[in-house]
Amino acid sequence: MISEEKLRILTESAKYDVSCSSSGSARKNNGGMGNGYAAGCCHSFTPDGRCISLLKILLSNDCIFNCKYCMSRSEADVPRMTATPDEICELVMDFYKRNYIEGLFLSSAVVKSPNFAMEQLLLTVKKLRTEYHFFGYIHVKGIPRADEGLVRETALYADRMSFNLELPTERSLKLLAPQKSKESLLVPMQRLQREKSIFKEEKRKGHFLPAGQTTQLIVGASPEPDGLILRLTQSLYQKAGLKRVYYSSYVPLVHDSLLPDIPAGERREHRLYQADWLLRFYGFTAEEIVEDDGNLSLELDPKCSWALRNFQYFPVEVNRAPLEMLLRVPGIGARSAYKITEARKYTKLTFEDLKKMRVVLKRARHFITTDGKFYGERQQSAVRGLLTSGETHENAVQLSLFSDLETARSALTGEL
Amino acid sequence: MIYFYDGSKNAFLTAFLLAYHDENAVLTCGSKQLTIGQEARFVQTDPERAARTEKRLLEIDPNSMVDLCTLLRSGDEDRDMVAFDYFRLLASRGEPIKAMLAEDAVAAADACIRRVGLEIHRMHGFVRFMECASGALYAPISPDHDIADALVPHFRARLSSYPFVIHDVKRGKAAIYDGEHTFLAPLDRAEVVLSADEMAWQSLWKSYYESVNIPSRERLKQLRGYMPVRYWKFLPERN
Repeated sequence: MISEEKLRILTESAKYDVSCSSSGSARKNNGGMGNGYAAGCCHSFTPDGRCISLLKILLSNDCIFNCKYCMSRSEADVPRMTATPDEICELVMDFYKRNYIEGLFLSSAVVKSPNFAMEQLLLTVKKLRTEYHFFGYIHVKGIPRADEGLVRETALYADRMSFNLELPTERSLKLLAPQKSKESLLVPMQRLQREKSIFKEEKRKGHFLPAGQTTQLIVGASPEPDGLILRLTQSLYQKAGLKRVYYSSYVPLVHDSLLPDIPAGERREHRLYQADWLLRFYGFTAEEIVEDDGNLSLELDPKCSWALRNFQYFPVEVNRAPLEMLLRVPGIGARSAYKITEARKYTKLTFEDLKKMRVVLKRARHFITTDGKFYGERQQSAVRGLLTSGETHENAVQLSLFSDLETARSALTGEL
Repeated sequence: MIYFYDGSKNAFLTAFLLAYHDENAVLTCGSKQLTIGQEARFVQTDPERAARTEKRLLEIDPNSMVDLCTLLRSGDEDRDMVAFDYFRLLASRGEPIKAMLAEDAVAAADACIRRVGLEIHRMHGFVRFMECASGALYAPISPDHDIADALVPHFRARLSSYPFVIHDVKRGKAAIYDGEHTFLAPLDRAEVVLSADEMAWQSLWKSYYESVNIPSRERLKQLRGYMPVRYWKFLPERN
């Protein structure tokens, strides 16, 4: 059994990675323990409001890289620990058996060399699959500059892999993470994507990253505006085929003249997630969402803000508007839009009907008519005032960890 | 008239047929206070009538029995009438009504089904097994809805080599998988002998839970929203 101290140190160093999602893989239990749960599953929630789905842990925090923002950077004076592959495997098996976790999210510092670190990760997940017969969810972090053969072999055992871009531009990377480069991160991502499609085309046996790839960007450690971050996100979704981009608002763990001393606003992170949602599920483009100054509005959520800038398209009639337009109405989420398109087949929907169907109308009423009737404000400035005053701090919760259906659903219907 | 039935599917279907034309029908399986002058009828399950009703409802909506079984799991006080109103509307319309969310009966049934489904999904995550000395796993739960047996297929698929018991302590029943078969049995109290390592693993899990939290970002309201306090009782990390 792994010692408590080791578990604590290796968890502390892993916890700032945002991703915890366990969705996207339906791996079968093939005579051992565990399987994939395509919708993902949250097993617990911590006092910071985040979900625990996967056991998020480092194999080692003993790093040769010196990324300025990182608590495990080589210069830092912190206790160093390395777990053995068996310690990790045992931990996963016993936690999983008790239903504490949905699987493993294994990462590592760059111990000795990129190849050595990647080899240890590979060894651990291979062992977990082939010796411990674990078929639950595994997410493995890719080590930049590791040999492509090692990365490819790891992908045969993992459900998901991720290389963290961390900073949105080459310049910021050079400054803050001198041993990384955009190339050392983007190239392995693209390579994995290519290999996955070949694997699929040739219908090879087994699995190759069934849950695809994700990445993470640190927001607020470097000066890039939201627009640049969202355009990068958009191209990662469209061109690199990524499943998710996570945003981690910068928490100053380290004092360095190159880094800001104040944490990046969590409101900003929240707005980026809202915008990300609009890109993936609501048919918006990055260019549409961003304000003229190149950033997202902190006052208003990006959908409200877009609707106010395009006030001439509204109000739309809920009984006639196409789904794509309903999705653009502030306050109407994907589920509500779907409910409306279903229910209106049978009857002409009134304002009361929408209430009954639990469509959130606080914002939507300014942008819709129901059977020709309008219940909102007509003046754009008045609407802006009402929407802004409705945005209390409480509404700006961090929506960063949608790992289960229901949270995702509440965010879809309520928050945008 | 008040129709008392025993909460089972066939009793519901029997009662449904009897009460269908009664405009003042009240269906219940709980203890209902009779008002003066109100008539009561205790419905005995009639397999033939139940089968006939089931067949007709399935003709109208092939998914209707799945919906009924989900509704009957609900612990909501008004669930008998929610189910009755929904199926009465279904039978009178003669076509699937599930998407007609502007109808009160449909909206109520939809919300009720959704609550049961949400709890099943949540409990897939919140069930906590303890390892017994025999190697079997034991998890006490106290859910809002009657879902113990509905959780079994999920755990059976992933833990197939371990016998396990999911014990609904509120309803005094247990869903049991013995390594081969699954069954439901009444169970008030369970005597559990834990394995030698069980407490050590629980304590390691608590350490993990503490370490992975970011204290500077406390959001207890969110925690309670995602993981309501009523579920904490059996979570080692919250005790």
